[in-house]
Amino acid sequence: MTDSSEPGPAVREVRLGATRAEGGTREVSYVIGGDRGLPFTGNRPDRLLVALEVCDDPQFSPPVVRDYVGDLANNPDEWARAAERTYGADIIRLNFTSTKQRGFDAFSEIAPTMERVLAATARPLIVEGSSEPELDSEVFRRCGEAGEGERLLLGTAEADRYRSVAAAALAYDHAVIAQSPIDINLAKQLNILLRETGIPGDRIVIDPYTGALGYGFEYSYSVMERIRLAALAGDADLAMPVISAPADTLTVREVREATPAEQDAIAVAWEFYTAYASFVAGASIVCVRHPLTVKRLHEALEV
Amino acid sequence: MAMKALDIYKLLPKTNCKRCGYPTCLAFAMKLAAGKAEVEACPDLDPGTKALLGGATRPPVRLVGVGVGERSVAAGEEFVLFRHEKAFSHPPGIMVQVSDTWPEERVRSIVETVRETVVHRVGMDLVLTGVAVRNESRSPGRFAEAVALAGGGSTLPLVLIAGDLAAHEAALAVAGHYRPLVHAATEENREDLARLAKRYGCPLAVRAASPAGLAALTAECAAAGVVDLMLDPAPRSLQDYIAMATGIRKAAIGRTEPALGYPIYFDTTPFRETDAALAAGILKYAGVIVVPPLPPATVAAGLTLRQNIYTDPQKPIQVTPGLYPVNEPGRDAPVLLTVNFSLTYFTLLGYLEASRIPCYLLIVDTEGLSVLTAVAGGKLTETLVADSLRNFGVGETVDHRLLVIPGYAAPLSGKIEDATGWKVMVGPRDAAELAGYLEKEWRA
Ligand code: B12
Ligand code: SF4
Repeated sequence: MTDSSEPGPAVREVRLGATRAEGGTREVSYVIGGDRGLPFTGNRPDRLLVALEVCDDPQFSPPVVRDYVGDLANNPDEWARAAERTYGADIIRLNFTSTKQRGFDAFSEIAPTMERVLAATARPLIVEGSSEPELDSEVFRRCGEAGEGERLLLGTAEADRYRSVAAAALAYDHAVIAQSPIDINLAKQLNILLRETGIPGDRIVIDPYTGALGYGFEYSYSVMERIRLAALAGDADLAMPVISAPADTLTVREVREATPAEQDAIAVAWEFYTAYASFVAGASIVCVRHPLTVKRLHEALEV
Repeated sequence: MAMKALDIYKLLPKTNCKRCGYPTCLAFAMKLAAGKAEVEACPDLDPGTKALLGGATRPPVRLVGVGVGERSVAAGEEFVLFRHEKAFSHPPGIMVQVSDTWPEERVRSIVETVRETVVHRVGMDLVLTGVAVRNESRSPGRFAEAVALAGGGSTLPLVLIAGDLAAHEAALAVAGHYRPLVHAATEENREDLARLAKRYGCPLAVRAASPAGLAALTAECAAAGVVDLMLDPAPRSLQDYIAMATGIRKAAIGRTEPALGYPIYFDTTPFRETDAALAAGILKYAGVIVVPPLPPATVAAGLTLRQNIYTDPQKPIQVTPGLYPVNEPGRDAPVLLTVNFSLTYFTLLGYLEASRIPCYLLIVDTEGLSVLTAVAGGKLTETLVADSLRNFGVGETVDHRLLVIPGYAAPLSGKIEDATGWKVMVGPRDAAELAGYLEKEWRA
């Protein structure tokens, strides 16, 4: 009754992180993708990763997360260490939110932050660099260079700004997040554009954009399902693993308006339902922001 | 396999006599192909053709109802494996479990919670569905009492979970007229339970750990006269549930195994991770989901997921475009431009009502797209705004010519001014900041 028994095209495998043997300094590296059937229907479990976000500038982290992590928020390296050791994240998502500041010019801080975070955790890193087109080339170059050899997952490439990320990924041998706004055709086009820059298919992870639960999530859910179906049907330009980052989920009204006593429970519930549903739709990596969601997801994936 | 309209048409009398209620035989064939009509409606079909068409055109997953009245739930009548192909029809019923070994007070309060819980979202009231009463006392009498405590099925639909025939007999004597779901007919007790379900006209769940086992049971129960059936695949893990449910749904909609063409029953209580199990049931084809009592945080998120997954992917939930007064506005009240996506409207309305600021909402037709999506997709334009101002008589309703637009529509502000002659004020992006903004910036 399951699909795994049927031979067929697979989702491509993508390696993230590099151990010493692989030329990096991580204690583990992961290979995601490789699925041959619908999510959760195979005999061999899908390789699913839970990422926890760490911001270099905490003012862009949702209030409920800042309240929960407290002083950790002021030190991305301490925060990253806790993400691995205390909260159990498989992979750390370092978000250079400082680049969202108007007039950002602290380029020289990027490499030191990267080094401190790399030293603080033995897990692979997802690095979200710039979110401003004018900053892209400088920011991605510095992130890429500081992580050389570590096979980062660098983000985010979009249709109108992918060259800088791609250049950094090519120069320093990293993988790339390709984000498109909830549209399977746009996802495919972007992958083709990236391939034309020279990024091989086994270094691309699709981010189809995840709307918040109750605020557009259903569209994201269906696009993830369709991407998996396209991959199973043999479309090589969509046969990449999917990353889902339901980043808006902790700023929805229901979470913002929760009473202090309930806010963690409500935040985790909203994030958990979105993240778990993304796995069921076919995501290989889910990025969450509340530390307590990580353990809940791991427990859920075990049953 | 499902039949195409033309293949069905070939088997019809082709007299276009209209007695089926459709103008032509072809129109009837198209309805049949879509699973939207019953073969019985055409009086001129011989029994052989009827049987052939009936098997190929009835919904691949049978519609099965549990309970009676307003709060009753229907499951099934599904046609696809993935929601992007066609909207899923019937959101699963969520049945909160109580045990007949629990103190009366506890059962009462849980039943009360199920009855009273409402999550308001997007103009809809999302509710828990009913109560599942489990016989753990080994006493038929206590089971029947617990069933009575749960309302007997007269207000909330019930699931009766018992392994023992005598327990079911006792419970059905209380609740049998309210169509509770009887759980479960197994290899061992199927004859007795089917007889009982038939006597009361109740839906029956069958339980077996393999699709073949389930198919054998439904075939027997149907032959015994019980056709309102559900399938409990007795999953060992969540992954097992997803794999089994997917296989069952595939077999049903592909019509490769009609004996699996029934809604799925999923009991989450054996699994420690209730939220994950509830989500898996919602996402993957359950018609009825049994859960332990849920904390409030979980209820809101779970019901929202159910609402999301069961909305029509082709057609966003929309409100009718127009000029909407909020908080009894006068002729100098602000006019706020927004879109006809339900979520946008209700989010905005929530904040405006809480702030008590009198205003008019000018809702324009973006075909149900949110502000940012409509701007990005070119659906929100200055022409649309100009036409809407004119068509909804906004100029006749207020004395000023000031239009507050959403922050995300800022790129359109100049064009809107040129096309309408109204002065545009660019509001905040986030509706939560709207009240503060109006207090500071608004003067007519
Ligand atoms: C779900 C979704 C879709 C769904 C559509 C759902 C729908 N019914 O609108 C689908 C998948 C169809 C879609 C399509 C597209 N989308 Co889209 N989509 C989203 C998503 C995830 C959520 C939108 C949503 O529901 N928001 C919730 C509602 C309530 O928000 P809202 O209407 O804006 O209302 C808020 C405010 O505007 C304010 N407000 C509302 N009214 C008013 C009035 C006043 C006076 C004031 C002051 C404030 C105010 O209050 C509300 C609450 O704060 C967003 C991401 C995001 N975070 O917003 C992307 C997003 C909007 N989409 C985007 C894009 C690019 C597109 C497409 C153009 C992509 C494409 N395929 O080409 C298409 C366009 C559609 C078309 N057919 O032309 C981009 C827009 C980028 C940009 N900044 O311009 C976004 C931001 C995603 C991204 N980051 O890339 N999308
Ligand atoms: S009743 Fe039968 S014969 Fe008459 S129009 Fe309908 S399908 Fe055709």
